[in-house]
Amino acid sequence: MSIIIISSDVREIEEMIAGKVAEEKGYGRLDRRIINDVAARHQVEPGRLIEALETTPSLFRKLSSRQWRYYLSCIEADVLERLLADNLVCWGLAAHLYVTDISHAMKIRVLAGKSSGLAKIAEERGISLQRAETYRDDEMARRKKWSLAAFNQDETDLSRYDLVISLDQIDPVETVRTITGASEYRKFQVMTYSMKCLTDLALAAKVHAVLLKSMADVKVQARDGSVVVSTRASTRQKRKKTETIKALAGQVDGVGYVEVHVKKNFLKETA
Amino acid sequence: MSEQPLKIMVIDDENIVGKRLKPALEKTGDIVETFEEGEKALARFDESPFDIVVTDIRMEKIDGIEILEHILAKSGRTKVIIITGYATVEIAREALSKGAFDFIAKPFKPADLRAIIERASKELRS
Repeated sequence: MSIIIISSDVREIEEMIAGKVAEEKGYGRLDRRIINDVAARHQVEPGRLIEALETTPSLFRKLSSRQWRYYLSCIEADVLERLLADNLVCWGLAAHLYVTDISHAMKIRVLAGKSSGLAKIAEERGISLQRAETYRDDEMARRKKWSLAAFNQDETDLSRYDLVISLDQIDPVETVRTITGASEYRKFQVMTYSMKCLTDLALAAKVHAVLLKSMADVKVQARDGSVVVSTRASTRQKRKKTETIKALAGQVDGVGYVEVHVKKNFLKETA
Repeated sequence: MSEQPLKIMVIDDENIVGKRLKPALEKTGDIVETFEEGEKALARFDESPFDIVVTDIRMEKIDGIEILEHILAKSGRTKVIIITGYATVEIAREALSKGAFDFIAKPFKPADLRAIIERASKELRS
């Protein structure tokens, strides 16, 4: 029993490999097909959620930083809740950036490489290999910027993955076999500790999404149903904000106790 | 016909852990022995193997991973459950790779450990 999270520098490659791994393992698939459900649950437009996964806040697209963070938090909360079911292959939802410190979640990075990845880009876009390489490099720089802004994690940093495979060296069939084989290692199997960590992470994400709907600048941690929310407020707003957070977080299923830590917001204090 | 009681060994250098767990685990009729020193625990295990060993990781002289390795080399059927107040992904993965049955972070409720022991017991009796 485990979770396999696959990401790649080329979206099409990610989808192709992840789909085949899911098929080979007989695992469920967790990908962008859930976006409509997430959107319905949080009463937002599906297109806005996809946009949040692809871009950073922009005045031109009328996507504020606060909305962007809220949309991402909705996706994160739903993905983490679904991951509690186990035996899943997940891709396309940025889970490799927020499923952290879960020992039964194996994170894979598939590097498309020149032979297959760039050829695929060149063919699909009708451009030369050289232009495809430039396109891929630009895309990687953009994703790095996005991942740092969204989750303070650099998705191009290969040291954060459990397994990195280059399609230049290992063909797709062997890649799928390698991933399915590695997922059988005992170290990636579910245990009481890892399941508890995932449950805590999922609860924190759920509370985070609820709070971000009406406020910004909140951090949430959870442990065994107890939730600690850190935020900022002016002295005047501190009491009201604390009460609001306690009321909102307290309504979330699974929350038994809420503690709020408020730091002074010096900008508002001096305004 | 009632099942044979399980022989459970608890190893933790914090005296309070054994004191708390012993009565909680004995409630179901199992036989529980507690140890604060790894060497004494292993000497006792070598005399007579246990079905289940619950061990802390961070201890002086012998750590929990060494205990795990020693026990599984002596008795492959014994289920070793690791408990620790310093849980990390790396330690958890190492423990599982080396054959631990399960891994749980302190503090935990005795009922949480009891649930793991029940699963271990089912595997032992299957």
